Amino acid sequence: MRMTCTCHIVPKDILERLAGDKKLSTELRRAARDSARLSDGLRNLRSQAAELTQLAQATGAHLVELAPSPKVTVYDCKHSQTLPGTPVPGAKTSRDATAKRCFAETTQVAKFFKSVFGRNSIDDAGMTMMSSVHFGKNYNNAMWNGTQMVYGDGDGKLFVDFTQGDDVIGHELTHGVTQHSLQLAYSGDAGGLNESLSDCFGSMFRQWSAKQDVTQADWLIGADIMGPTAKSRGFKALRNMAKPDDKAALAPQPTKYSQITAGMDPHYSSGPPNLAFCTACVTLGGHSWEKIGQVWYAALTTSGAHPKMTMPQFAARTRQLAAQKYPSQAVVAAAVDAGWKKVGL
Amino acid sequence: MQAEDRLDVERLGGFAGMGGPGARIRSTGSLHGRELSAADRGRVAALFGGAKPPDGHPGAADGFRYRLTLHRDGASPAVVEVPEAAVPGPVRDCVHDELT
Repeated sequence: MRMTCTCHIVPKDILERLAGDKKLSTELRRAARDSARLSDGLRNLRSQAAELTQLAQATGAHLVELAPSPKVTVYDCKHSQTLPGTPVPGAKTSRDATAKRCFAETTQVAKFFKSVFGRNSIDDAGMTMMSSVHFGKNYNNAMWNGTQMVYGDGDGKLFVDFTQGDDVIGHELTHGVTQHSLQLAYSGDAGGLNESLSDCFGSMFRQWSAKQDVTQADWLIGADIMGPTAKSRGFKALRNMAKPDDKAALAPQPTKYSQITAGMDPHYSSGPPNLAFCTACVTLGGHSWEKIGQVWYAALTTSGAHPKMTMPQFAARTRQLAAQKYPSQAVVAAAVDAGWKKVGL
Repeated sequence: MQAEDRLDVERLGGFAGMGGPGARIRSTGSLHGRELSAADRGRVAALFGGAKPPDGHPGAADGFRYRLTLHRDGASPAVVEVPEAAVPGPVRDCVHDELT
């Protein structure tokens, strides 16, 4: 069971103050008191939902398969920030290009995870893949809110419609996969790994869609959502996995693990593990998803819940898995090793 | 929050990692209390009064955070950082994204 909270809730201390305000009617004071108690209840439910997910993962108790393949749904927020918005009927053939594209790419990501990794949707049990488009006004962002994807239209200057980036869609969906597997926290080393895994699988999805090998891939994140103002200033993407400190990236990143410090935004600390993955793929050659991608997927999905995993631990896990999965192909483990050594791990 | 107080707003994080070291997008804005409704001034005041913002969903990622700095005559600036869901719409809307 998942509890969502994307609406603003009146802070509990305000409700309690209102409940004790003798100037208000008895009915209003009772309503405020009951709301405060409900707020506590909802918070407890959310904490318990998180604990239940972790317990289920730890005990290996897997959800009963909900569906053999996931349903894909699209909602229209109509430029509000109320989720999920109104359903877009027949999104597959919608006249709304954003909704249609969102449906198509999300469906493709589901096919990517199924055909390449054998995974049935975000939770590996066929859960519905739900997206909301036209979120907010000129909203320069896309996100995973814990239960669904959310896409803004961009301001048309720095960014265009975020659904135009197939790597963006792959990135956001992978956050859901991480939530249902490794359960990485969103701070510290774990946060950087969380973000990196989304960039890695987002990039792999983009390469798979275009049938590119590692030499044909651009290894850029967000190249297709750059707006005219960003492009005119020479920016080509948000991030560059092959060269994290690229000055043509809107958000250049560190290239060595030693450069990561406490409190860093996960989109910044993802630089070194991104470079490690890219280096491993380029070192081995071929298609990124065929061997190195399989190692990364195994690290993501067979390590149990590890919310505070460090980058050295993740690196060790991928080295171990590369040797286990490809015992007669030492070049795979060597490529993974080269990737991590590149970033100082 | 009073009508004459000034609120500086910075939007952080998101898919683009706004506000990070080296990031080329800065997302800032500013407004005075008089530009907000009484209800929204109350919501902002609650954030600076230690009210706990709504919990983010476990596993959520790429959301925005807002760093709010409240300037009041005769007092040191107060700073809080909260998730987007806790920020009133007019405060969010005062922010503009720019290339640095």
